[in-house]
Amino acid sequence: MKTSAKSVSVLLPTVLCATLIALPALAAAEPLRICASKIEAPFSYADGSGFENKIATAVAEAMGRKAEFVWTDRAAIYLVRDLLDKNECDVVVGLDPDDPRVLTTRPYYRSGYAIVTRAEQNVDIDSWSDPELMGMKQVAMGFASAPEAMFKKIGKYEDNVNYIYELVEFKSRRNQYIRVDPGLMVNQVATGKADAAIAFAPELARYVRDSVVPLEISFVPPDQTGSGEPIPFVYDQTMGVRKDDTELRDALNVAIEKAMPKIRTILEQEAVPTLPVGQS
Amino acid sequence: MKSIRLTAAIAAALFLATPAVANDKLVELAKSEANWVMPGNNYDANNYSKATQINTRNVKDLRPAWTFSTGVLNGHEGTPLVVGDRMYIHSPFPNNTFALDLNDPTRIVWQHKPRQSAAARAVACCDVVNRGLAYWPGEGNTPALIFKTLLDGHIVAMRADNGEEYWKMENSDIRVGSTLTIAPFVVKDLVIVGSSGAELGVRGYVTAYDVKTGEQKWRAYATGPDEQMLIGQDFNEHNPHYGRFGLGQKTWEGDAWKIGGGTNWGWYAFDPGTNMIYFGSGNPAPWNETMRPGDNKWTMTIWGRDVDTGEAKFGYQKTPHDEWDYAGVNVMMLSEQKDKDGKMRKLLTHPDRNGIVYTLDRETGDLVSADKLDDTVNWVKHVDLKTGLPVRDPEFATRMNHNARDICPSAMGYHNQGHDSYDPEKQLFFMGINHICMDWEPFMLPYRAGQFFVGATLNMYPGPKGDRQKYEGLGQIKAYNAITGEYKWEFMERFAVWGGTLATAGDLVFYGTLDGFIKARNSNTGELLWKFSLPSGAIGHPMTYTHNDTQYVAIFYGVGGWPGIGLVQDLSDPTAGLGAVGAFKELQHYTQMGGGVMVFSLGGKGPYDNLNKGEYASN
Repeated sequence: MKTSAKSVSVLLPTVLCATLIALPALAAAEPLRICASKIEAPFSYADGSGFENKIATAVAEAMGRKAEFVWTDRAAIYLVRDLLDKNECDVVVGLDPDDPRVLTTRPYYRSGYAIVTRAEQNVDIDSWSDPELMGMKQVAMGFASAPEAMFKKIGKYEDNVNYIYELVEFKSRRNQYIRVDPGLMVNQVATGKADAAIAFAPELARYVRDSVVPLEISFVPPDQTGSGEPIPFVYDQTMGVRKDDTELRDALNVAIEKAMPKIRTILEQEAVPTLPVGQS
Repeated sequence: MKSIRLTAAIAAALFLATPAVANDKLVELAKSEANWVMPGNNYDANNYSKATQINTRNVKDLRPAWTFSTGVLNGHEGTPLVVGDRMYIHSPFPNNTFALDLNDPTRIVWQHKPRQSAAARAVACCDVVNRGLAYWPGEGNTPALIFKTLLDGHIVAMRADNGEEYWKMENSDIRVGSTLTIAPFVVKDLVIVGSSGAELGVRGYVTAYDVKTGEQKWRAYATGPDEQMLIGQDFNEHNPHYGRFGLGQKTWEGDAWKIGGGTNWGWYAFDPGTNMIYFGSGNPAPWNETMRPGDNKWTMTIWGRDVDTGEAKFGYQKTPHDEWDYAGVNVMMLSEQKDKDGKMRKLLTHPDRNGIVYTLDRETGDLVSADKLDDTVNWVKHVDLKTGLPVRDPEFATRMNHNARDICPSAMGYHNQGHDSYDPEKQLFFMGINHICMDWEPFMLPYRAGQFFVGATLNMYPGPKGDRQKYEGLGQIKAYNAITGEYKWEFMERFAVWGGTLATAGDLVFYGTLDGFIKARNSNTGELLWKFSLPSGAIGHPMTYTHNDTQYVAIFYGVGGWPGIGLVQDLSDPTAGLGAVGAFKELQHYTQMGGGVMVFSLGGKGPYDNLNKGEYASN
């Protein structure tokens, strides 16, 4: 029964449904192997405290399977290449829907890049030519991120990049991935060392929530500069499986749907500002 | 004897041609074999001494005369200075300086130990090296001074007599990733300093300070608007095809020139006749070439600048749009030689990291010759002497979606920071060479929210003439004639000859090796005549001086720098240190860290031949 499920499901959509419903019960003993980084806070962390660790657990539960984390000491950017593609685990949490290396699930939330400032600054950025933004001297952000591309467009990149390098102690990025710690980014704003931090909102949310200094977080305005392709700031987040693993992808889709109330609760607890999935 | 007279005649002719240098005491001091007043011995930067006491017949009798430990365990580049009775010794970070009395070198006459931010250590890319000191002889009420750079970006002037700090200026800001490792260079009453840190997107510049006050006299950037680069009205008028005006911005996309690199941390030379200093600017930034379309001028450039104003007279870009990290900061050695047409010319010879040794007319910037440092150089087929452009082989380019295999040279270059030598009698350059090639595998990894990481995995290993099983044969030593383009002799070495060479009229060439030998070869034939095992590997160049009628040869030991980064930082991942850890993985079986100076003489003759010297004596 189990061995024929794949071919049957391709041929007969009605049987597919039956198969999927049957799957959780059948695979109950088999844990869901989740690829996870030990150092990708707040998404994923060695003690399981990352909010994507919690989402993965909720989805595994909805499948009737136990969540089994396959950990790596390296950054999450290496998960697909070093773990998923080598069959050491079966699902990566937190990928863009168009990631060409994997088969992605339906989105389970949507969010965007946000700017964090101190409440006392009373800043309201409504465009990428906003004088308040243009007057900022040090803005924390990640390398090769949407705000970095935007800063190149508006001519602020070259004057700001040395500050970003300072945040990573000037480590060379030639042959190693260097991440700007989101906790540090928020801390820089809270302590007044940075005028603002701009990053993917889910990456900053927890630290903004926990800051002793009152902070404000709001989505960045769209790219209306009219120069070149507009830079997208809003993204759906999905899970990814190996390209031939349609069976697991379909099962995850069903489970995500089922786990949505729990996922929403996890995101609310994390204070992640979200948008309705599929909209901008 | 005949050849010595010839040198004297040439020197006399030079002085007739260049009358306005009498005020420069350094020129006079450099003429004496008692002194070694700058890292390259003289303004020609030829590391050549006319001393003949040590020669091919007796060099086998060289023995240690005395030694000194700097107390620092890191890579020791450069060489000590000697002026009169004093030797001045520098160290890597924390950049301590020691003055020793040559009559009793166990006595530290003074020491200068600066306080500097430990953050500088983290910023430095390739160990915490320093390349040496500069000396200014004093004038009027201003005492003789010693200058040094600090890793944290400062330049310090110290009194040569007692080591007291005379002034200190910030030249580079480590908060923006810029450090200092270069040896300062004194010309007239100016001290010239470069900058480091191009790996991290700084904008390179060279600055001249007033030796007496530290006041900034001029600063010239390597990129950007002409007025900030001090591009003169007559810039490249002899060679307009090199490019002339506005190119420091036009050859970059947008404002990328602002973080375009082009630092200079190598060596300088000066010609009192042309009144120009000569040096090279380094690699463009960021490293990923796809992110900086264009020629990226004026990185990778041989500069001729008026020393009084900083104004650029010529600039020749060797590697337009660098893809390999072939930072163009290497030594510039000056010579007067007849070209192929028999015309006497003032020349500048520069063994570049890109594997080409360039010779230019240093009055006009004309390209005279451009030869491969080894026939295994493959990224370039040849340099077109008419256009000055390298003719590239796309197979060995580093573009995305192309796994380039066996690129020669590697990012470390076939020649790096070593200070080589030139024997004007023999018209030979003695060059210490790296024989290292690399694979360059670019990769791109997507991340969430549109982010990604573009990286490259660098693997380095011995060049085709080395042993790729045993990871040895990583270096060469060569004698080169810049006019004929021929190599008179060459030999393989187990590891890179990183530090450079010393040539003497005793028909000798000396150099240190990474595995810890100092060696002497017959400069006519290359025959190995003497060697001695140092306490640690050498990455600096030897020097020589004559004191109380005894000729000494001195060299720093202390392995490290880029080739020794695996030893210094205890790394084992072969791709770490941008691939240097893999290339030099065998080094740990030959040497360990150390730091100091060893001084040799015939039979070990020296100050302690008198056994009472240095003994305790009660009143």
